[in-house]
Amino acid sequence: MINWTLYKRGLQGSWKMLLIFASVITMYFTIIISMFDPALGSALNEFAKAMPELMTIVGMNPVSAELVSFLEAYLYGFIMLVFPMLFCILSANKLMARHVDHGSMTYLVAAPVRRETVALTQINVMVTGLIMLVSYATLLGIVNCEISFPGKLDIGKFILLNIGVLSLQLFIGGICFLCSCIFNDCKSAVGIGAGIPTLGFILQMMGNAGKELENIKYTTFFTLFDSDGIISGKAGALAGMFALFAGAIILFTAAIIVFSRKDLHI
Amino acid sequence: MSVCEVHGLTRDYGNGRGVFDLSFAIHQGEVFGFLGPNGAGKTTTIRHLMGFLRPEKGYCYIDGKDCWKDRTEIQKNLGYIPGEMVFFDDMTGTDFLSFMAKYRNVKSNGRTRELLDRFELDPRGKLKKMSKGMKQKVGIVAAFMHDPEVLILDEPTSGLDPLMQNRFIDLVLEEKARGKTILMSSHIFEEIERTCNRVAIIKNGKLVAMDDVETLKAAQVKKYIVTLENKDAVAAFAGESLRVTEVSHNQVTVIIQNNIKEFIAIMNRYPVINIVTPNQRLEEIFMQYYGGDRT
Repeated sequence: MINWTLYKRGLQGSWKMLLIFASVITMYFTIIISMFDPALGSALNEFAKAMPELMTIVGMNPVSAELVSFLEAYLYGFIMLVFPMLFCILSANKLMARHVDHGSMTYLVAAPVRRETVALTQINVMVTGLIMLVSYATLLGIVNCEISFPGKLDIGKFILLNIGVLSLQLFIGGICFLCSCIFNDCKSAVGIGAGIPTLGFILQMMGNAGKELENIKYTTFFTLFDSDGIISGKAGALAGMFALFAGAIILFTAAIIVFSRKDLHI
Repeated sequence: MSVCEVHGLTRDYGNGRGVFDLSFAIHQGEVFGFLGPNGAGKTTTIRHLMGFLRPEKGYCYIDGKDCWKDRTEIQKNLGYIPGEMVFFDDMTGTDFLSFMAKYRNVKSNGRTRELLDRFELDPRGKLKKMSKGMKQKVGIVAAFMHDPEVLILDEPTSGLDPLMQNRFIDLVLEEKARGKTILMSSHIFEEIERTCNRVAIIKNGKLVAMDDVETLKAAQVKKYIVTLENKDAVAAFAGESLRVTEVSHNQVTVIIQNNIKEFIAIMNRYPVINIVTPNQRLEEIFMQYYGGDRT
């Protein structure tokens, strides 16, 4: 059960941030999609040939010449990982830890509203924001491709890719939110909540970089989001997606339990 | 019948801070004054009553319900003024009050309007830009608007001007007459004197005294600062049979209890320039009465 008054208030507080992230995503999508050239290989491919190491670190190495593969390589290896992640970090902190740190949580718990309801409502605010962001990117990608390269995009695979990104981002959101519930000050909540996914992301990039470090990437949850595998339809990639969704549910549940049982010095 | 009960409440923050084996009970329709110096454990106790903190030992009950386990149930009939007013940054006062009403699921009852008028508050401005007094008024309205049976007020008049303090006292008296049970922490003597039935004082997390306000008033001791013409007079004056607590430069501070005539007679013999009665903190008065050491 959620408190609709708090939910509406949370969405009102998120739209500015969502707008900023949506504009950044719009900019990248528009620029990168315009670089695709089905006949000659893209300008980015030329770039990849010139600097193969740099491009593989940020996951920009398409497995095939298809448009969906192109998008996967150039948008879903970095842009769609980093920006929604940033949204999770900021949003999770704003919705819980900041209220406890500043003291405004007082008014949310000094009311006949269960703490479980408060936490679940705030989770819903964050998840709604994430879904809006990823849905927007999905729609943006489809519309952009249909205008510039009608019929070239495998829409089914592209949507699946976005569901994959959503599963990863929900998992990251779960980590951030749990930290936001555990810690009473913003500094620790952001420090740890942002630190874990950032470290994971860096390890993933190191893993991409070189053969000798390749196994590093299996040490982080980022490996569960196998964007190449989703495109090429590997069963393991789908299993990874489910694992991330399941993990997100566990993390959010843990966050609710932690918040309901903790001492609030407000 | 006691509405609010605290039994052996303990929370140790280390270094002697926290509350230790605290017990008291507040009866139906009673205004209970809760006093103590800063850091004595008043707010910690209140946080337990509000269900923010889980007692390490002991328990608190409101209306026969456990303050930690049944906190949501208790909150339905509870009004709270926090010691520190922190709202959501970007709201106006109007936004906040309507948010709280909807959040609490309070039916509009005309009470908010009445409270706003009573405290002459125009809540349309941004909370962030409001003065301390205005924020305090918003907090008062939020605590009383759902007409709760139990009120927990943590220094409710801080930041209010004397006129508004008086209006607040009137409000508390009206609520008391309507049978509400109120716990109020305060530093202002008049506020406690005019509203409370009983007073508890805590220090270093322990209950040091609990008594009727009438008893407290009867025992009130007065402090005077006498300014004299010269240092010789000061030295001689300090040697008189009065209870002297402080001598500085050309001033002597004395404590008078039932011996005002003697005090006047002594003053007549000295070159007195001025007499001042400093504002005494309530705790100080109480502590003197109970012979505790001064803080």
